[in-house]
Amino acid sequence: MKLTPEVLDLDMSEVEKKLLGFIDDYLKKTGARGIVLGLSGGVDSCTVAALSAKAIGGSRVLGLLLFEDETRTSKDVNDAMRIAKRYRLKTETIDITAPLKSLYGSIPVFDPSDKVSKGNMKARTRMIFNYYYANRFGRLVCGSSDKSETMMGYFTKWGDVAADIHPVMDLYKTQVRRLARHMGIPREIVEKPSSPALWPKQMAEDELGVRYEQLDLVLYGLERFMKPEEIAGQLNIEEPLIERIRERWLNAEHKRRVLLTAKLEYRTVGTDFRLPRDPFYTL
Amino acid sequence: MKETVDIALAQIFCRPGDKEGNLKKIEQAAVQAKRKGAQLLILPELSLTGYVVRDEIYGLAEDIPGPSTRRIETLAKKTGLHIVFGMPEVSGDTKATLHNTAVLVGPKGLIGKYRKMYLPTHSVFEEKRYFRPGYQPAVFKTDLGKIGLIICYDIYFPEVVRLARLEGAQLIVCISASPSVRRTFFEVLTAARAIENVAFLAFVNLVGIEDGLQFWGGSRLLGPNGKVLVQAKYDKEDLVLAGIDYSDLRPIEAFVPVLKDLRPELFDKLKKSAEAL
Repeated sequence: MKLTPEVLDLDMSEVEKKLLGFIDDYLKKTGARGIVLGLSGGVDSCTVAALSAKAIGGSRVLGLLLFEDETRTSKDVNDAMRIAKRYRLKTETIDITAPLKSLYGSIPVFDPSDKVSKGNMKARTRMIFNYYYANRFGRLVCGSSDKSETMMGYFTKWGDVAADIHPVMDLYKTQVRRLARHMGIPREIVEKPSSPALWPKQMAEDELGVRYEQLDLVLYGLERFMKPEEIAGQLNIEEPLIERIRERWLNAEHKRRVLLTAKLEYRTVGTDFRLPRDPFYTL
Repeated sequence: MKETVDIALAQIFCRPGDKEGNLKKIEQAAVQAKRKGAQLLILPELSLTGYVVRDEIYGLAEDIPGPSTRRIETLAKKTGLHIVFGMPEVSGDTKATLHNTAVLVGPKGLIGKYRKMYLPTHSVFEEKRYFRPGYQPAVFKTDLGKIGLIICYDIYFPEVVRLARLEGAQLIVCISASPSVRRTFFEVLTAARAIENVAFLAFVNLVGIEDGLQFWGGSRLLGPNGKVLVQAKYDKEDLVLAGIDYSDLRPIEAFVPVLKDLRPELFDKLKKSAEAL
C-alpha cells in the first residue's frame, strides 16, 4: 500500500450526506429537541456546527462560546460568530473564567504550574456547561473530536470528548479540513492551526510533534496494520517517531473505552453486556 | 409452475427489537406489493427484529414455525403472495442454539427456511458470537418456480449459490443487511452470481441507520446475464417491482454456457486445496 495524500481522499458530497443523515436520524430516534455544541472557532467545531445546522436547521442548534481569559482570542470569537451567523445558529457566550477561578481556589493542592491538570479542568468545565444546556432544554451534546485526535488520545477524558454523538470522529483532521472546504467554511478557519485552548498559545501540532498531513498518513497506515518500519520508509520519517505515535495510540484506549471493572458476574458492564446503543423498542 | 413471476423488493427500515412494528411494516409492504401485482414479496435479512440487536437477540429469536411465521402465513394466505423475510430462529431441536434464518412462506403456508451458512464475524459484524451456521443449501419447489435462498455474506462464497443452482434453483433470493461501506462489493457480486450461474437473482437489503451503521438499500433484481431489471433507491425505504421470465434462461445459457461447461473434477481439487489452506 502506498501512503500518498490521495489515500485520504473521500467523496465529500457522499460523506456530508451520510453525516447529515446520521445527525438527523439520531435526533429523531432519541426524540431530542435539538443540539448543543461547544463552538470554539476551530475547524472541527465549525464543521460540526455547519453539519448540525444543515441536518436539523440552525434554530435547533445552540452554539456555546465558552471562552476564558487565558486562552480567549478575538479571532476565535469572530470565527465562531461568523459560522453562527452563516448557519443561523443560536449562540450563548459565557465567560467561564470566574467558575474556573472558583474551582482552582477550592482545591487545596491546586498547582497552577501543572498546566495539564489545570487545562483539563477547563475542558471538563466546558463539558459541564454543554450538558447543563442539553439537560435543561432536552437536547443532545454534539462533539467535534476528529479521528486523529481521538486515536492519539489528544483530548481530555470526560472533557471535550464527552458528547452524545461525534459526527466527524471517523475522519482524520486533514479529512475534516477537506470536508470543511467542501462545505464552504471560510479558508481562514479551515487553515487555522488547531488548538485545544487549555493554556495560552497551545498548538496541537507542536504538542503532537508532527504535522497533521504526516500524522494522518501514519495513523492511516497503522489503522491498516502496516508495520512502523514500512510507514517510516515510505514517509521518510524516523522510525522512533512512528513508534511513539503507535504507542500513544495504543496507550490511550482507556480514554476511549471508559467503563472498566473487574469481571465478577454473569454479564458485566463495559465487558460483555453487548447491547445496542440506539434506543431500543422491545416493549 | 408459472413461467413468469412478478417480484416485489421491499427494502424497509426495521426498528431494532420492535417485532410488532416490523410485522406491521411487512404487512403494509404486502398490501402495496399486492396492489402492484406482485406474486413474490422479498424483505431484508432479520427484517423481523432489525440487525443490530446484539445480546437482545436471545430474547427475540423464535421457533419456526412460531408466532411470527404464523402471522406471515396468515398474511400470505390473505394476499395470495409468496413472502421471503428474515428472522432470528431458535432451534426446535436444541431449544438453545440460534440461527440467522430466511423464511419462505406461500399462500398455502410455510414452505421452508434457510439458515445462513457464512456468518460474518469481523469488522463491525459479530454474527458467530450469536448464531450457529447452517449446513444445507435451501432450494424449494414452489408455484413460482424453484427458489434458492441465501443471506448476505453468503454471496461472497460462489459455492453457496452454485449449490442452490445445481439443485435446480432458477431464482436466487439473497436477503441482506449490508452497510454502505460494502456497497461496491455487493453491486459486483450480485451480478457475478447471476451471470456465473445463469440464474435470476433478487437482492433485498436493509435501509436505515442502526448504531451508526448505515444500510444502503439499493435492492435489485438481476437477469441471468447480470442486467439489472429493477433497482430500489439508495439509503431510503422503497418498494420496486419487476417481472422475470424463466424462458429467458435457455438463450442466455446458450450464449454463455457456464452450466454446460462446469468441470466437476475441479471441485475435488478445490476441496483439497481449501482443507490444506
